[in-house]
Amino acid sequence: MSRVTKAWTWLLALSAASTVLAASGVTGAALALPVLILSGLKAHVILRDYLRLAEAPGWLRGFDLGLTFLILAFAGLALVA
Amino acid sequence: MTDPRLSLPQISSGGPGGEAPPGVGSGNTGQLPGELMMWVLILSELAVFGAGLLAFLAVRLTDPLGFAEAQSHLHRTGAAANTLVLVTSGWLAALATRAAESGEIRRLRLLLTPAVLLGAVFLVLKATEYADLFAQGIGTETHAFYTFSFLLTGFHAAHVLAGMVLLTLVGWLATPKAVETGAAFWHMVDLVWVLLFPVVYLL
Repeated sequence: MSRVTKAWTWLLALSAASTVLAASGVTGAALALPVLILSGLKAHVILRDYLRLAEAPGWLRGFDLGLTFLILAFAGLALVA
Repeated sequence: MTDPRLSLPQISSGGPGGEAPPGVGSGNTGQLPGELMMWVLILSELAVFGAGLLAFLAVRLTDPLGFAEAQSHLHRTGAAANTLVLVTSGWLAALATRAAESGEIRRLRLLLTPAVLLGAVFLVLKATEYADLFAQGIGTETHAFYTFSFLLTGFHAAHVLAGMVLLTLVGWLATPKAVETGAAFWHMVDLVWVLLFPVVYLL
């Protein structure tokens, strides 16, 4: 299986996990935190394998850091509400 | 002698004349793959949508119950399906990039065609949701939630439409550089959606 196809299967699995969580009826922090983490993981896979940042680990770390801050800010605002 | 500056992340602007950019498909080069301007666009779009989503969540603090009620009118199942549609379309576009690099023009076009069609599926599902909201008398002025959700998802849908046009164009050009650039735009659309979906539809 090629790297791109493995990435696609990961993205399907992570999306399915988000759907299961949302359908489970959990709310608040129990929903927000895992769903945002799954979203960050999907973004990482897209950057690493679809956009080929695996070839440029320094850039991948930079994007991951920026996304981590963004998702932490999402989580903070979601949990305060 | 090795120049110490080369150990830092570097940027490749690609070769002239539609050739594959240096480093593409050659493993860990440390260079930013593809077109520099596409990466500038990707960063810009992430910043714009990131700011929009942060503003959405900040305004939500003023009326959490109103936002939750408004969110219940959206098509969550359709939006979840659209995530699968976009990541699958992105997979086909990524495979098309590899086909372009190995000179398989027929294969790259066979891959890009369903990638573009899946973009159309995304827009149909999105249009269905909008039509349903409009039928309920809901518009951008109904509630702050809808002002943001229409703005963010509508702007994203416009990018999907632009991406479909771009993928069609690069499929016709069929050069490695063109296909990689078009696919990078498409992956950016995918990237924005995986961040937008949980914030607007799930939280």
